[in-house]
Amino acid sequence: MLAALQLCTGNGESFRNDKMMPQIQPQRAIFLSLFVLLCLTLLGARPLSAQEGAPMNSGAVSPNDVNEIAKDLWCPLCSGVRLDACELKACEQMRDMIAVQLEEGQNKEQIKAYFLEQYGPQVMGEPPLQGFNLLAWILPFAALAGGGIFVWRRLRKMIVQKPQPAGVLTPAVEEKYHQQLEEELKRYG
Amino acid sequence: MIYDIGHLILLTSLVLAVCGILAGFWGGHRRNTRLIQSSYNAVYAVAALVTGATAILWYGLLTDAFHLSYVWNHSERALSAFYKFSALWGGQAGSLLFWCMILSVYSAVVAFSNRNRHLVLMPYVNAMLLVSSLFFLTLLVFATDPFKRVGFLPPDGQGLNPLLQNFWMIIHPVMLYLGYVGMAVPFAFAVGALVSKRLDNEWVHTVRRWTLIPWMFLSAGIIMGSQWAYMELGWGGYWAWDPVENASFLPWLTGTAFLHSIIIQEQRGILKVWNVVLIWLTYFLVILGTFTTRSGIIESVHSFARSDVGPYFLVYLVLILFGFLWLLFDRLPLLRGEHTIDSYASREAAFLANNWLFAGIAFATLWGTFFPMFSEILTGERISVAAPFFNKVNGPLFLLLLLLMGAAPLLGWRHTSLAAFRKQFTFPLVAAGGVALLVFVFAPSLYPIIGLAICAFVAATIVQEYVRGVAARRITNGENALLAMVNLWSRNGRRYGGYIVHLGIVMIGVAVIGNEFYQESLNVTLARGERATLGRYELVYNGMASTRQANRIEFDALIDVYNLESGRRISEISPQRNIYDKAPDMPTSEVGLYMNPVEDVYAVLNGWEEGGATATFTLYINPLTLWMWVGGIVLVLGTLIATWPHPTHRRSEAVRSLAYAVGDD
Repeated sequence: MLAALQLCTGNGESFRNDKMMPQIQPQRAIFLSLFVLLCLTLLGARPLSAQEGAPMNSGAVSPNDVNEIAKDLWCPLCSGVRLDACELKACEQMRDMIAVQLEEGQNKEQIKAYFLEQYGPQVMGEPPLQGFNLLAWILPFAALAGGGIFVWRRLRKMIVQKPQPAGVLTPAVEEKYHQQLEEELKRYG
Repeated sequence: MIYDIGHLILLTSLVLAVCGILAGFWGGHRRNTRLIQSSYNAVYAVAALVTGATAILWYGLLTDAFHLSYVWNHSERALSAFYKFSALWGGQAGSLLFWCMILSVYSAVVAFSNRNRHLVLMPYVNAMLLVSSLFFLTLLVFATDPFKRVGFLPPDGQGLNPLLQNFWMIIHPVMLYLGYVGMAVPFAFAVGALVSKRLDNEWVHTVRRWTLIPWMFLSAGIIMGSQWAYMELGWGGYWAWDPVENASFLPWLTGTAFLHSIIIQEQRGILKVWNVVLIWLTYFLVILGTFTTRSGIIESVHSFARSDVGPYFLVYLVLILFGFLWLLFDRLPLLRGEHTIDSYASREAAFLANNWLFAGIAFATLWGTFFPMFSEILTGERISVAAPFFNKVNGPLFLLLLLLMGAAPLLGWRHTSLAAFRKQFTFPLVAAGGVALLVFVFAPSLYPIIGLAICAFVAATIVQEYVRGVAARRITNGENALLAMVNLWSRNGRRYGGYIVHLGIVMIGVAVIGNEFYQESLNVTLARGERATLGRYELVYNGMASTRQANRIEFDALIDVYNLESGRRISEISPQRNIYDKAPDMPTSEVGLYMNPVEDVYAVLNGWEEGGATATFTLYINPLTLWMWVGGIVLVLGTLIATWPHPTHRRSEAVRSLAYAVGDD
């Protein structure tokens, strides 16, 4: 389960930015690192179509070459079954068609475009980035951002309004108590 | 005759459920002890009767009563007794009856174990549990009768769906039902608290365990379903984000969020509204999930119209939605928080972020699952929303959640000082950096580096917490390490059991990353005696063997697995195809599997020619996948530790019972 961690096939690009901010506050550090991580992962989560399709040779096409493309396509008749794993006759014929197109020298993107045209967006396994279907992509992130802003504002309101309660230790005092505790533990431990 | 009694029993249960609901709500409102007692009796009677009706259907299945439509459609003479027994949940009417039976038994256990506690809350809880039972009894009596006759006596049944004739498919639905149905209990307590206006922490404290138990079953059910998909469907994966899988995952997401957010309510008296909303959402998603899988609405809006139970579900969902919202708005003034949050760097803030992410993932999953339906209605175009969508949208969110899972336990309640921050995070960050470096050197790829580093970070936080806990006990009590650890579990099982659950999730995360990013596959046709090389293994095909079973023929391909470097034979695997007599057009697959902690050798038999002279296979190397199943077991063990009552807790419960007994409630 949790196949969700598959974001894209990873093309080795690095988005690393190791610059550390000096004297960074712990709470800021948490949110900053969460934000950076989100940006990193979102930046990298490009659609599979962004991958370059390697030009195919015109020699004999192996089932592995066919499956390499069929893995990115979906059975138009079943629910959530990949083309390389579907056992329907129709899908077998679709795989044969991939082999024919590979022999003709078509590349991955051309073959995928052909199937999209022939069978509609159902073969892509994801909503196309156009028209009404754009909503499928936008709404989850909009809802997440909206929820995030709501939580953030509520949290900020609580923290700003809240006077420092008398019983709460300041970091300096806590540090002092911590040292005292360590010393006493050493003495009696 | 006996089957007429079965139907009559269901009808009687329905009437009793109505009486129990009225007795519960009215008795609770008037504080009438006789009516309240009636609500308890109704819960017990419904449980006994529905169990009786289920036993009658089981009897019909085991004795081949093919004049019953359900038995005729889902069983056959040649089926083993084991599968005849499990055919109860192989079809719609039987599975709804099974649902209802589990719910009624859960209700009876809740009523009995709380018979002397929560005297104000319990009448409403009984009534709400009976409302859920009533809905399913209505379906069974009016829409899909499990005791319906076919009008003639067929010589044999049509057989059970071949895909369901698998060991994991026997246990998986049971676990899932135990999880699904159990979520009705915390929901009933939430409604009871709202109706009775007893909105302190009492109900939250009580439902923690009643949520953890179904959550554990739901988690185990999901993992077992993945195991089934992995072993049976033969595409090298375990989770396809199809609507049925998502239906089980959605209440898991909101239920997990609820389990975390009630901790804040218990500790700080805040998030009261959010908690009742979350448990309502979980219950709503349970009913919605059953609705989507039973009505076929996701596959096509047209199948909804043909469904005999779909409209009933829709009405019930609308009732739950508006009924709950009305109740919530009416009680809003009573749900004010008692404290506020003091700092961003506090555990409360981390829990809020956790809930935000869980809610976001649940929304994205729900939206993606239903989007094809919206698209079909509004544009007339059928599209598919499958793994690519869910992986891209949910993937980054899961990574963040995993990171938070490690960071949150390191933060203090209310505020974390810089010194404490440094002390808590140094070791886990170093561990994460070390693992990132190792992955970078040996298997460089961006996402696995991030993912595995985060997994290492979380694992290191857990180890650190255990080491500190054990060290503290060794110093204060002079216990040895093993005893100290056992005592950590028994004294503070909630916290240390929770860490074990987190460890299980980390293992599952590692397995997901291994399988998704480092999987290798090969399609080959081999002649007898021919070899294929994949990864560090060499596989030799030794021909086919067939075995006649009672209701099918099994075809096994015999493959020896050798270590490529040493040339040593390490295992024999046999991917299999089963051709069932009653469904020859639906051959099923059993993969051949050699598992070890590093990687699985996974073989699927695609076909063979000339009696097995040649055979075609898809071979996979699935790295780290074993850890998914180990992680599942660890998660269950951790939940058991967290659920187990520890001595202090037992004492405090006894004191509370005494308090209620003397009229403190």
